[in-house]
Amino acid sequence: MTQRREQEDVGSFEEVMLPHLDAAHNLARWLLRNDQDAQDVVQEAYLRAFKSFAGFHGSNGRAWLLTIVRNTSYTLLKKNRAVDLTTTFDEEIHVAGHESVSPATILEHSEDAELIKEAMDELPSEFREILALRHQEGLSYKEISEIAQIPPGTVMSRLARARAKLKEYLAARMSK
Amino acid sequence: MTCDEAIKLMDGYLDGELDPIANQTIEQHLRECQKCDEAYKTHSALIRSIGKATPYYKAPSGLRERIQASLREEIAERSPRSVSRNIPSLFPSLIQSKQSERRAVLFGTQWNWLALAAAIVLAAIIAFNLAPRLRRPGADQFLATQLIASHVRSLMANHLTDVASSDQHTVKPWLDAKLDFAPVVVDLSSEGFPLVGGRLDYLDNRPVAALVYQRRKHFINLFVWPAESGSVSADKRITRQGYQLLHWVDSDFNYWAVSDVSDNDLQAFKQVFEKQLPRR
Ligand SMILES: [Zn+2]
Repeated sequence: MTQRREQEDVGSFEEVMLPHLDAAHNLARWLLRNDQDAQDVVQEAYLRAFKSFAGFHGSNGRAWLLTIVRNTSYTLLKKNRAVDLTTTFDEEIHVAGHESVSPATILEHSEDAELIKEAMDELPSEFREILALRHQEGLSYKEISEIAQIPPGTVMSRLARARAKLKEYLAARMSK
Repeated sequence: MTCDEAIKLMDGYLDGELDPIANQTIEQHLRECQKCDEAYKTHSALIRSIGKATPYYKAPSGLRERIQASLREEIAERSPRSVSRNIPSLFPSLIQSKQSERRAVLFGTQWNWLALAAAIVLAAIIAFNLAPRLRRPGADQFLATQLIASHVRSLMANHLTDVASSDQHTVKPWLDAKLDFAPVVVDLSSEGFPLVGGRLDYLDNRPVAALVYQRRKHFINLFVWPAESGSVSADKRITRQGYQLLHWVDSDFNYWAVSDVSDNDLQAFKQVFEKQLPRR
């Protein structure tokens, strides 16, 4: 391939993929919980995406890119912090949240970004990513199932568990 | 539907992801069961509020440029003739480029104003790049885009020079060893354009020499590569996105000077450069 052709390929790749840079960075940042790692992973993910761009024929560039960002993030997570992946889930669902804190109290603090960030960061990576994808990117269950590589039927239950856990952690922080 | 079943479906209902039948069934349950209805209202209000208040980590400034630079490195790497900087793309080496980024941050103050200006210009280049695909740019336009991108990248990546020296007798041998041609290197300090150093770059499908000169606080990249024999061309002046480009050809070389200095300064630069060329 000639240099010029490749320059044009970069151009069309950037045209399709760079608009999703914020989404890519947000997901990586929630997964890695570290600014520098997030930036490195996003850069690496874009490079990986570029190399396999010829294989991208879909219309959903964002989901495709986020899948690569997620995989790249886990490569680094596995390398650096294996412990993060072995966090066991609490299967129990506490819809009402922490016993000692009323739903009204949690609601009062539900706009406290700093508190939410702290509680989110305590969650296992599977929960952090699904919350970011749904709450912040507004992705459908189908898109989430593709990105997180889980069956579509699992998305709802995992999301429910993630939300329950998040509420529990928020409540725990408030009752301190 | 039991209360347990309703609670299991609550998140799907909240997200509008239930099939129509399940949707109808849970709505009916919520109408009939006050306990579940209240639980749903609290849950949905809370989730929406949390969703809105969750910090969104936008890409920091500079990341876009870093990505674009790495994509261009990747292309340059692919070509077997490439002699451009060897930055492989997998993780271990990413750490290297990360360190160079960090170095750039450490030395940040002196580069900040450059980076800011460069970021603005790069955004403009991207905008410029989108249009030509529709209307096929001329060769010069395409080259001008590459030249500006190279110039901007050299300022941003804190990679202005591969060999930093104001001594032409240091810069020239270094370039000669790396290239399949021997560019002329002259110092123009006495004319107000001190030589800063030299760099290998990659343009128009070939390795080229980039000589870096300074004009007050501005930099001039002078890209040099052999002229095709017998090629005659008038000087070309291009102004784009706040950058001046000046092109000329002599019997041996193609020259493209790129800078954010004024057009007059760039013309003056060309004149003193030609005056200092050794007579052949
Ligand atoms: Zn009920």
